[in-house]
Amino acid sequence: MGETLAVAMVLAVCALLLVGYPVAFTLAGVSLGFASLGAALGIMDFALLGALPARIFGIMTNDVLLAIPLFIFMGVMLERSRIAEELLETMGRLFGRLPGGLGVSVIVVGVLLAAAKGVVGATTVTMGLIVLPTMLRHGYDKALAAGTVAATATLAQIFPPATVLVLLGDQLSNSYQAAQLAKGNFAPQTVTVADLFAGAICPALVLVLLYLLYIVAVAVVTPKKSPAIAADPSAPRGAALGARLISALVAPFALILAVLGSILAGIATPTEAASVGAVGAILLAMRKAGAKGFLIPVMIRTTQITSMIFVILVGATVFSLVFRGLGGDGLVARTLTNLPGGVAGAVLAVMAAVFLLGFVMDAFEIIFVVVPIVAPVLLQMPGVDPVWLGIMLAVNLQTSYMHPPLGPTLFYLRGVAPPEVTTRDIYLGIIPFVLIQLAMLIALWFAPGLATALPHRLYAP
Amino acid sequence: MRNTTARIADEIDRITAAIGRIATWCSLYVVAAEFAVVVLRYALGFGSIRLQESVLYAHAGLFMLAAAWVLQTDQHVRVDVFYARGTPRTRAAVDLLGAVVFLLPFAAVLFALTLPYVERSWHIFEGSPQPSGLPFVYLLKTIILVFAASIGLQGVAQAIRAALILSAPSRQQSH
Repeated sequence: MGETLAVAMVLAVCALLLVGYPVAFTLAGVSLGFASLGAALGIMDFALLGALPARIFGIMTNDVLLAIPLFIFMGVMLERSRIAEELLETMGRLFGRLPGGLGVSVIVVGVLLAAAKGVVGATTVTMGLIVLPTMLRHGYDKALAAGTVAATATLAQIFPPATVLVLLGDQLSNSYQAAQLAKGNFAPQTVTVADLFAGAICPALVLVLLYLLYIVAVAVVTPKKSPAIAADPSAPRGAALGARLISALVAPFALILAVLGSILAGIATPTEAASVGAVGAILLAMRKAGAKGFLIPVMIRTTQITSMIFVILVGATVFSLVFRGLGGDGLVARTLTNLPGGVAGAVLAVMAAVFLLGFVMDAFEIIFVVVPIVAPVLLQMPGVDPVWLGIMLAVNLQTSYMHPPLGPTLFYLRGVAPPEVTTRDIYLGIIPFVLIQLAMLIALWFAPGLATALPHRLYAP
Repeated sequence: MRNTTARIADEIDRITAAIGRIATWCSLYVVAAEFAVVVLRYALGFGSIRLQESVLYAHAGLFMLAAAWVLQTDQHVRVDVFYARGTPRTRAAVDLLGAVVFLLPFAAVLFALTLPYVERSWHIFEGSPQPSGLPFVYLLKTIILVFAASIGLQGVAQAIRAALILSAPSRQQSH
């Protein structure tokens, strides 16, 4: 009876989210409704919700999550310093004279931008506003241009230091501990945000490589879809161009490398590295624009994005409490362990569920709502590595972000794309990239070493 | 009557925006103080638990205190597949129902649940579990009450605005 109510609550949440009231409060409100219903029917003790203040206090004092506002601050600051525009212009000059060259530079710049930001919406908007018109002006196929921009922007979800990886790392480390305690291991191993960062690097680079191969393949097969840019006689060339590129590229690249490197080398925690990154971004922006007048907008944006993410976490906490109270976690555990195909079947089912939920929920909501329910079960199964599971989830979430018809990236892009780019163009253009993502998931499935080799080498006990 | 209710909504907006401004400054403190922690630790080999905890306090203040103002500026994520395509009146209906059915009950329940929790903490002037930490955990916990109260208030303002749109003669909306 309680389990039926738990299932009904999941369905109700999915349906009511579509109505369009802010996600965090919809989650909390619907869950409270079901808790009252459960209490009225005598299935659930409403007093269970008494744990809520302590849970929220736990979120407030979680020092892993402290890295989030710092990374967001760094990303927003780099965005304000207009490094992206400068990079794109210079890279476009360098590679633009080859067919497909502009597409290649868009992906390379997009990767840098994504790594700096870690927030898909912001990356999509910047790229949609700056990159897409440039590509169209130079005669790129509309679908190809839109697909490239949308897909590259979603790399922000998997490229370290992505916000998604920090949040996933935090949730997985709790789940991993719970799973090992349940198995009777009272000296549990841990999984950290740094593990996930290290695990994400190879898959993210492979994805970039596959995107680049696709662009080159299109340029070879149908050159008119991605024409070369006519040389601009007034533009700097040779040494001058090289110098421009270095000055545009080196500083942001060095900053990101220093931040990531110090985390991966175990010198600094993600939080510490992120604060250095944030201060570095301020210095870069000062060099570009002079600090006057942009600090406050960056603070405001950082505060808004951070609060938006954490309030979803608060809403999802209410959901988890009620879901457990109704016995939903027992139902999930039983279903997953009894699936045909054993461990593989269970992981596959979770991946399919996450992919489908991606139609309604955003990556943050899935991480906060779904991961704490399914991960402790999966991580108790033999052979399920927490880093591997995390990276599979991250790639999967990234895919759901750009999957038609409801992928959020497509909506962000629709919002800023020039009117001549139709929704159909965007859908058509993104399909090859979605196929690449699925290929990546299959590759990870059969070659888990892609994700686990680097963290195991770096942090071998 | 319309004017009075609209004024109440404006007044609420002013309060939550002021709380939001405090949160915004917390973000700068988080960056600066965490950087100071890093410099002190790596350059001078000196660690201060109080400084480290103050970063955590500011971080908590940042997202908890900003929540109502973020609602006011409509920056909380919505699944806007249908919402974005709705007319101003349908959107107002969604906001009114959402505020009354989801947000206000949540704010009220959270406030009621948190009150005894915070009272217990004030009763003993709860401090940090670390001996050399900040002695203000009772204040930190009180932020949850401010969170619940401020999102509740902002929910009232949102409902008022939505109701005003819905009760306005619909003809006036053609432009």
